[in-house]
Amino acid sequence: MGDAPQPGPVKTTSDEFLLNVGPQHPATHGVLRVEVTMDGEVVKDIVPHIGYVHRGLEKLFENRTWEQIIPYTDRTDYLSAIANNFAYVMAVERLLGIEVPQKVEYIRVIAAELNRIASHLLWLAAYGLDMGAFTPFLYAFRDREEIGTMIEEASGGRLTTNYFRVGGFIHDLPPGFFPRLSAFIGHFGGKIDEYDTLLIENAIFVARTRGVGVIDRERAISYGMTGPCLRASNAMLDVRRDTPYSIYPKLSFDVPIGRNGDTWDRSKVRIEEMRQSLRILRQAMEGFPEGAYRVRVPRNIEPPRGEVYAAVEGPRGEVGFYVVSDGTRKPYRVKMRKPSFSNFCALPEILRGMKIADLVAVMGSLDLVVPEIDR
Amino acid sequence: MDRDVVSILKAIASLPRGLWITFSYLFRRPITIQYPEEKAELPLRFRGRLVMPIDQQKGTNRCTACMRCVTICPNHSIDIEPEKDPGGEQKPRPARYLYNLGTCMFCNLCVEVCPFFALVMSDEHELATTERSGLVIDLVKERYRLSGKKAGWWQQKFRSAAGEE
Amino acid sequence: MGRFLYDLFYNTDTVLAGWSAAAHASWAAHGRPAVALDVLFQLCAAAAVGLFLVLNALFIIYFERKVAARMQLRRGPNRVGPLGILQTLADTIKLLIKEDIIPDAADRGLFRVAPVIVLAATFMLFVVLPFGKGLTAADINVGLVYFLAIGSLTVIGILAGGWASNNKYSLMGGMRSAAQIVSYEVPAVLTVLSVAMLAGSLKMGDIVTAQPVYGYVLLQPIGFLLFLTASNAEINRAPFDLPESDSELVSGFVTEYSAMRFAFFFLGEYTNLFLAAAFATTLFLGGWRGPLLPPIVWFLLKTYFVVFLLIWVRWTFPRLRVDHLMQFSWKVLLPLSLANLVVTAVLVKAL
Repeated sequence: MGDAPQPGPVKTTSDEFLLNVGPQHPATHGVLRVEVTMDGEVVKDIVPHIGYVHRGLEKLFENRTWEQIIPYTDRTDYLSAIANNFAYVMAVERLLGIEVPQKVEYIRVIAAELNRIASHLLWLAAYGLDMGAFTPFLYAFRDREEIGTMIEEASGGRLTTNYFRVGGFIHDLPPGFFPRLSAFIGHFGGKIDEYDTLLIENAIFVARTRGVGVIDRERAISYGMTGPCLRASNAMLDVRRDTPYSIYPKLSFDVPIGRNGDTWDRSKVRIEEMRQSLRILRQAMEGFPEGAYRVRVPRNIEPPRGEVYAAVEGPRGEVGFYVVSDGTRKPYRVKMRKPSFSNFCALPEILRGMKIADLVAVMGSLDLVVPEIDR
Repeated sequence: MDRDVVSILKAIASLPRGLWITFSYLFRRPITIQYPEEKAELPLRFRGRLVMPIDQQKGTNRCTACMRCVTICPNHSIDIEPEKDPGGEQKPRPARYLYNLGTCMFCNLCVEVCPFFALVMSDEHELATTERSGLVIDLVKERYRLSGKKAGWWQQKFRSAAGEE
Repeated sequence: MGRFLYDLFYNTDTVLAGWSAAAHASWAAHGRPAVALDVLFQLCAAAAVGLFLVLNALFIIYFERKVAARMQLRRGPNRVGPLGILQTLADTIKLLIKEDIIPDAADRGLFRVAPVIVLAATFMLFVVLPFGKGLTAADINVGLVYFLAIGSLTVIGILAGGWASNNKYSLMGGMRSAAQIVSYEVPAVLTVLSVAMLAGSLKMGDIVTAQPVYGYVLLQPIGFLLFLTASNAEINRAPFDLPESDSELVSGFVTEYSAMRFAFFFLGEYTNLFLAAAFATTLFLGGWRGPLLPPIVWFLLKTYFVVFLLIWVRWTFPRLRVDHLMQFSWKVLLPLSLANLVVTAVLVKAL
């Protein structure tokens, strides 16, 4: 083989060893790989490897017309398809200078909040599984199924909804949507209490999560963390509140924040957020206006030259679309700002110096969606 | 000190409370749908496989091979071979309408863009095949007959559109 | 006939002794050595226990899956046989006919032996288990000690399996299991001691008969809870299932096992569950004693009730962390069980 340097194992001192977690490991929720250097039980260093599901979406967008992009935005983060639709459609509408009717805004907010609850429920289910509690998984999926059915009735899709269009929707809300929604709002509050008792307040769960995976306020901000992960670190940032869009200024809701920035706070913030989403849904349902469910837009969308950044508060944090138009049928550039990526970047910082047993707890609490990191 | 005692007691109390929840579920009815035998009712707007249904009045499909669906499809899943109507009276029509199920992402854009309501996303969702070639379907040759509530919904769409004109 | 059935259920030992004597008499009449007959009898007993072990594990797996399903709003197995009762049988057959894979880097000898050790250890525990009045293979005078000693043997099999797999996850699972069983053995023994003190004997049969009608559970409520917790940890079940915690260690010590050897581990695990429950029944719930129904029925009913308790706990709680597990044993269970022992000792002496 000659003298050429051989690619070999990373040199470690006698006390350290490498542990490879993923890309196929039950705790990584998808194809994510982290290389952990350990000193006994203690994590010395952690190197995340991403890109296993990289599809080149941002490049792909440059070869698609403005309306063709919408179904792809579903697939960046398949758990919050609505939030992605919302951000992208809003960006294009701002480029075009379209004002959408009030009713459209209401439907969008209802869909987005339902999507937030569904996403948090899936996080709860998966996190329970990470922690070894299997039963909350099925309870959460039962409720998520109800939301799935509601969204499917409106859009035709459960997960990759492709519901939003530039200027409105393809369908109005279906008949019978509101009775279903109010029934859901009526009983879901009790279910949240149940999850709280069954998992979040459980002594074993608290022991495993409290004081674990702490990231302080300054660090969280400097890593660009957003969403529940940031708010758990006692930082108040919510796109819905700080850069209001759609009808959020009209609605009253609290933004729950945590105190310590540990794993338990991140869990509790999500649970509280589900309660707040219910509040928003209730208000949106009461003030629901009459009107058109879309405005006429040209058949071929050709926005004027310009660039726009539009962001919404997705379940995982700030979902932003930065779109640049050169005045043609296809965008010049679409850049997606995805919360999972920024939150994931903080993982080495959080985990350094902790026990390996907490790896699962911390990774689950960040609520990562791998296709969103890789895009 | 008192706070510690309270938190310990709360921690201990959380265990039987959790146990009570799972126990109370023990006597509820299962919510499982026994899939191959029972099937969930699909909503009207469900997006299954693309079909080109036969319009009962025309006796054939409603496609005019205008290529709008081919253009809009983000994944290039549709390919049309047009032909002229033999009589020359009617609009052109597709000789073959090749739909590639393998690349379709069920986004519904082709259905929305069709000015003649020739396409419908059906209720078919059990789409596995044993061969790749089975994924390319000629929708013209298939002569799909839409049935159930979806058929009424579809007919009403193009009738009301005809009424508007 | 009725008399015979009554004897068969209530005085099983005398019936068996009668049969043995009759067989010996006719055997001696033909001039054959009595030792051969004893060996034959023992083999029959072993076969019976083996059959019971397999059927019981099949049933408990089915039972657990059904109960878990109902707690989770599911139906559980319902395809194979009426109400899915044959599901575990089908699974077992599937496991038995699958390809047996031994990893290249594994320690082949140890890898093969490990599941057998686990199963053998559980098998040996049946010797002292009092199924009914006199229905014990050997009611030895140190039954309790025997049970505790042999019960800890499984850890050798688990550790060997984890080591022989030559896989980091397997090894960690095996090591965790060893640490766990060693630490939880201590509170378990201490609680068992207080029961032995109350009964004044280490013989299983005596402990059952020494108990009041309601069992020791009312005299030793904390002891019962402590024992259930400790033995739940000893048999590596959730929330103490760290040796095979799937989200951390993939499958722990069984990661590399497949087919029949996996089935052996699985069988051992569920038999251990039954044994832990049976032991708790014998020590705290009055064993086979009870009105109306025959002893063996009472014994199985009570045992399955305890099995239900353990299943219920498993499907409710999240998993502990390794260091918490150790802390829980040494800082909570051990002091509590010591206190329990001291209080029991004082009360026994005073009253």
